[in-house]
Amino acid sequence: MSRDIREVIRDEPLVRGRLLELLAGGPLTVPELAASSGLPEGEVMVWMMGMRKYGYVAEEKGTTGDGYYRYAAVRRS
Amino acid sequence: MDYDVLVVGSGIGGMESALKLGDMGYKVLVVEKEPSIGGKMILLSKVFPTLDCASCISTPKMAATAHHPNVTVLTGSEVARIGRDERDGFHATVHRKPRFVDESLCTGCRQCEVACTVAVPDQFNGDMVSRRAAYIPFPQALPQKALIERVGTSPCSFNCPAGIKAHGYVSLVRTGEYEKAFALVAETTPLAGSLGRACYAPCETECTRGSLEGPLAIRRLKRFVADTHYALPEPPAVDRLASNGKRVAVVGSGPAGLTAAWQLARKGYGVKIFEAAPEPGGALRLAIPSYRLPAEVVERDIANVTDLGVEIATDTRVEDLEQLRRDGFDAVLVATGTPNAARLRVPGEEELDGVRSALGFLRDIKLGEAPDLSGKVVAVIGGGNVAIDTARSARRLGVAAVHMVCLESRAEMPAYQWEVDEALDEGVELHDGWGIAGFRGDPRVESVELRLCTSVFDENGRFSPSYDDSVRDELSCDLAIVAVGMGADTAAFPELVPEGARSIQADPATLQTAVPWVFSAGDAVTGPTTIAEAVGHGRKAAFMIDGWLSGSELAGFDEPLPVVDRAEVLARQRSHSRREPLVTEVHVAGALASFAELEDPLTEAEARAAAGRCLDCGVCSECHECIAACPADAINLDMRAKDVEIDIGAVIVSTGYKLFPADLKPQYGYGRFQNVITGTQMERLLAPTRPYNTVLRPSDGKVPERVAYVMCTGSRDQTVGNPLCSKFCCMYSIKQNQLIMGVLPLADVTVHYIDIRAVGKGYDEFFEQAKAMGTNFVKGRVAGITEKENGDLVLRFEDIDNGGVLAEAEYDLVVLAVGVQPNADASHLFAPGELALDEYAYVDEVAEDLNPAATSIPGVFVAGAASGPRDIPESILHAGAAVSQAAAHLERMKVPA
Repeated sequence: MSRDIREVIRDEPLVRGRLLELLAGGPLTVPELAASSGLPEGEVMVWMMGMRKYGYVAEEKGTTGDGYYRYAAVRRS
Repeated sequence: MDYDVLVVGSGIGGMESALKLGDMGYKVLVVEKEPSIGGKMILLSKVFPTLDCASCISTPKMAATAHHPNVTVLTGSEVARIGRDERDGFHATVHRKPRFVDESLCTGCRQCEVACTVAVPDQFNGDMVSRRAAYIPFPQALPQKALIERVGTSPCSFNCPAGIKAHGYVSLVRTGEYEKAFALVAETTPLAGSLGRACYAPCETECTRGSLEGPLAIRRLKRFVADTHYALPEPPAVDRLASNGKRVAVVGSGPAGLTAAWQLARKGYGVKIFEAAPEPGGALRLAIPSYRLPAEVVERDIANVTDLGVEIATDTRVEDLEQLRRDGFDAVLVATGTPNAARLRVPGEEELDGVRSALGFLRDIKLGEAPDLSGKVVAVIGGGNVAIDTARSARRLGVAAVHMVCLESRAEMPAYQWEVDEALDEGVELHDGWGIAGFRGDPRVESVELRLCTSVFDENGRFSPSYDDSVRDELSCDLAIVAVGMGADTAAFPELVPEGARSIQADPATLQTAVPWVFSAGDAVTGPTTIAEAVGHGRKAAFMIDGWLSGSELAGFDEPLPVVDRAEVLARQRSHSRREPLVTEVHVAGALASFAELEDPLTEAEARAAAGRCLDCGVCSECHECIAACPADAINLDMRAKDVEIDIGAVIVSTGYKLFPADLKPQYGYGRFQNVITGTQMERLLAPTRPYNTVLRPSDGKVPERVAYVMCTGSRDQTVGNPLCSKFCCMYSIKQNQLIMGVLPLADVTVHYIDIRAVGKGYDEFFEQAKAMGTNFVKGRVAGITEKENGDLVLRFEDIDNGGVLAEAEYDLVVLAVGVQPNADASHLFAPGELALDEYAYVDEVAEDLNPAATSIPGVFVAGAASGPRDIPESILHAGAAVSQAAAHLERMKVPA
């Protein structure tokens, strides 16, 4: 990851909506989200884990054949 | 004596010390600098060699410490200094950092954390995931109470004269919460639309990002949230308190009066504004040209005030304040601004037709009574912002030419340089460095007589122009407009103006005048300032009037935390990527045909991107979302740090250790390669409260199949100045190996080691167990790590068991088993040099073999890893020694000499 972690994490509120929009079409892995959004994989991972921590997304059971979890948007009240 | 023993640090050594001493009946104070007790152990996954859950062992100790009747715990506090007192004991100063959350009210519900708009790295999860500025440190934290990370006031907010939380609304825009951003501005003033256009934005001048690529477009973000709010078909109603039955009259409807009325109405006061002009708004409505501030924006801002029930009586000049009192108003605010134009007092100014004031000229235009200047030549006298407004307005009225004459040189002009630039771009001709000798013509002005100005200010910087009357010039014109200053109209309020004064006099601290029920604010008191300053004054007046009418002390208005040091903000990151600032495009071409607004609004995408450049200088943005979300009303941003003085009998230093910063071994790529992590980070990945859903590699979320450990990273290593073995890295790595194989049964785990130090009961068996489970141990140092494009890592290492060859292997994830270092905090507790350190900078135990835990200071003892690398059982044992020593010391103190 070329950017400082503090800078990447600061962007989480900025990109959250964009990632959730992509997940509205169904669960995706981090590489799939990165490919769809054009955002760096490593940064998408940081944001997704932050979103997971705060209940925006949750992982599906089991991994894909190449060892990735898919994450789905969580409906929030 | 306040406490028998002060225990500094609440890791396992500190907690064990406090508990045992408390059990013995001693009164103990535990001071912990972190917001939770528990130290490093509570963040571990499991402990070796039993693989017991670390949380399950730690949390009972933490709870027992926090609730022990003889133990007092201060978290978020630091011992500033310990010294001897006169009774053979010690005196300590404890610095208590504000939590900004009332612990007695907080229920630990985390609603504040969820609502918080600022994301920062979670240090309790090895920076692998975010936390919020408002947060509970970790799920088992004790106290289980929120706190807010506030390192100071962000420069943008600190420098807003209006007191608007600029960082707060920027943060809300970044999050996409535009309506909340508007509401935050409205906490201060109803004039978001006007300020979003016409404020000179001192927030931007001080923006930390300004020292990178350029400041944030903070003002335009405010305009964006105002425009977005005003575009709503049904904007939400503003909260206001129920009527308190008291009435306040506000004289003047400029930014100070409107803001005061807004604030008072929201507090439940009945407010009526009296305005002498035919339209409310003061300078906003009657002076600032529409190309900068359209009248409909001002009207929409004013509608915020009237929507609260505030009545505005226009064309109503107040000349008798007592009458207002008789009419039932409990207090009066005079905020009449500076409507009187200053004069040049030169020949022809009063006598000739066609010489007029800028204020009258601008007012006529705003009231739809603009003069026809087609083909005329206009001279504008003055070099300030009003003169610029006048000249640019004249350009829009079809003039043949506009000449602007000012005393100052271009560089000295009081107008903002960008406004001067725009005026020149619009064709205004500047004649700088000239004074006015007089106006000529009969009966109508035909020219302005100029004389050379040799200096504007005296040696003390005071306005005191000097002229060379031998150098003169003459400027032909059809109209001369004088814009050389403004003053208050005090004629109606003689009781508020002492003899000789030019403006209304009010106590600067309270804004109360000589008449107790009359307050005064804004330019009427200060002289000409800015909209934002007038807004700030109006808000302050409302605060003081509310205080006076409710019988409170007139104090406590706006006491922000000190401003954050911008250099410290920039130093938080090792690098800052470039993020281009918005370019403000002003459409000069074609603009002269009308008074249409020059500056385009931001699109939503532009606004989000602009807000995304914010560096979160103060960390907490003061967006107030936590306040709105907290069901217990526990948030208190007014908390401040305080020092507590205590007397104690003995001290136990249990400040623990520091971890080796792995980026000091650059050949391993830590901090550059995302899939190189430390053993501490792996602890978090393996813990029940882990940052990810399982052990994943940080670069892409892949489940790692090949995991490598690099032992002795930063320990037993002369190249980094640490020859000591850290004692527990081998064992925690072996523990993690087994846990990884439990979580990821298909993973291959390889340990690159120098030798394995498994000394302790059951330790070697634990090592053998890891081997039996399949961990591959490779003897030899790792020379370096490189990263492949897909994030895989290539280790270059020596393989001693296979002839010492250099070999390479690929891994998905590499864990650096970092060693430990002494914690310098311990030595800072006492006067320099008083607490002796050993050759490795750990706290020195002066007779370690025979008198463990005793330090160089009688009565001061050390527990745990503060005196050298120790694992958990050793730390607990060592704490036992410190406890015995402290108890013995306290008992000896009781024996008469």
